[in-house]
Amino acid sequence: MAKITRRSFVGIMAASTTALSMPSIAFGALPRVVVIGGGAGGATAAKYIAKDSKGAVDVTLVEASKRYYTCFFSNLYLGDFRNYGSIGHNYYGLAVNHGVNMVHEWAASVNSAEKKVYLGSGATVSYDKLVISPGIDLKFNSVNGYSPQAQSIMPHAWKSGTQVQLLKNQVKGMKQGGTFVMVPPPNPYRCPPGPYERISMIAHQFKKTNPTAKIVVLDPKNKFSKQGLFMEGWQKHYPGMIEWISADTHGGIKKINTSTMEFETDLDTFKADAASVIPAQQAGRIAMNAGVNKGDWCPIVPASMQSQADENIYVLGDASIAKSMPKSGFSANSQAKVAANHIRGSLTGSKVFAPRFANTCWSLVATNDGIKVGANYDAKPDKINKISGFISKKGEDSNLRKATYEESIGWYSGITSDMFS
Amino acid sequence: MKYKFNFFSIIILILFSNKILADEKVLAGADFEYGQHLSGECVTCHNSTGLGQGIPKITGMKTAIFIKKILAYKTKQKDNAVMQMVADRLGEEEINSLALYLSKTK
Repeated sequence: MAKITRRSFVGIMAASTTALSMPSIAFGALPRVVVIGGGAGGATAAKYIAKDSKGAVDVTLVEASKRYYTCFFSNLYLGDFRNYGSIGHNYYGLAVNHGVNMVHEWAASVNSAEKKVYLGSGATVSYDKLVISPGIDLKFNSVNGYSPQAQSIMPHAWKSGTQVQLLKNQVKGMKQGGTFVMVPPPNPYRCPPGPYERISMIAHQFKKTNPTAKIVVLDPKNKFSKQGLFMEGWQKHYPGMIEWISADTHGGIKKINTSTMEFETDLDTFKADAASVIPAQQAGRIAMNAGVNKGDWCPIVPASMQSQADENIYVLGDASIAKSMPKSGFSANSQAKVAANHIRGSLTGSKVFAPRFANTCWSLVATNDGIKVGANYDAKPDKINKISGFISKKGEDSNLRKATYEESIGWYSGITSDMFS
Repeated sequence: MKYKFNFFSIIILILFSNKILADEKVLAGADFEYGQHLSGECVTCHNSTGLGQGIPKITGMKTAIFIKKILAYKTKQKDNAVMQMVADRLGEEEINSLALYLSKTK
């Protein structure tokens, strides 16, 4: 999730200069927790360990960005339902209200034998317990022809930040009657309904300013989250604008050409005037470096979120294999509270309660047309087990859909307050 | 006389107010620390600042009111899929602990 903006780069350089003159950041005799990643998992874990231990645990949060732009609600920014500033947050609350030691640097590597995290500046921080919550890295080469260079031409915009601003500019600047091509990611990926909410928000923009535009979705999957609800909404609000093509229908994306803006499939070659390509994903790099991954993701102990590879390391959020929970900000926030309770218990002897997990994902289809899916979970030895769940129904009345949208605004306010203040 | 009147009023309230009787019963079975822990699930959505935007503030809520609302979701008398799901897995101990913690939290 960490994006370097010019402002945060200056901040990082300033922090690095300080840290370089001080090869090891020293702490007192308190038990030490280091958290890598200041998103929904990491920020929440840092806050709850610091808050609930009331000074009995030293908590350091390593996060390169000084201002964090949430992935969730970045689609609403695309649709003009939020401004960019409103999805940005800082860490003052964690530092000032809860005493979290903020280190705005990259975590370069983890030495789990010595229980040390090496920072980009060369400084180190030691831990008794380490929380790794790095979010995702993109597998650019999972789409033939896509690359880090291509992300400015066909933004993935899957880590929020400047990529989302770029995508919005390209949507708004697309020629009248043009074609927007969208490639969603294969499973598993961050935010299952996210690509389809994005399609809805882009369609919402086109309806206002470019009503003859088309959106072609070349999906590497044959089905997707909340599919019936999204398709019903697209038909209702944007009739004839969106063509979703399943993997079985197009036969696979053979190649994309960022110069000609062409997408080659077995079915046809599609030419785009603007595009978004979201490649396959894996756990953030630092998780791989720490050796807590098994393939692309990190297995965890469901009852505590401890890594199966190292009992002193906890892996939260998108990077973890938290089956049956989806990779979402809500899930990461929920997992962080389970981990925080367990970490505090193991370091201070405080009571450890039975783990409880929950998730709800809201999506906006059009103005005042919100839908949601959610579930709660407990921990079984082999997986996080779904107890019960719900999903919005097709054909719900407009008052309920409006209330669902308003509820999502309340949730955004709630979770960002829970993470950052 | 004024003091006696107030004292009498308090006795009457304690003996006859259903609400206060309900609160006393709740407080007897509740665990503040457990309530605090459980409230982590609530505050993902319910903003503690009380800036009501689609989701109401629940901190500072009187225990009897909290319990009445949760039971209404649990018995599906009150609509909201998220809250019905949340309430569904809360047992008496959890509801009482949450009610105690939230009532004593700003």
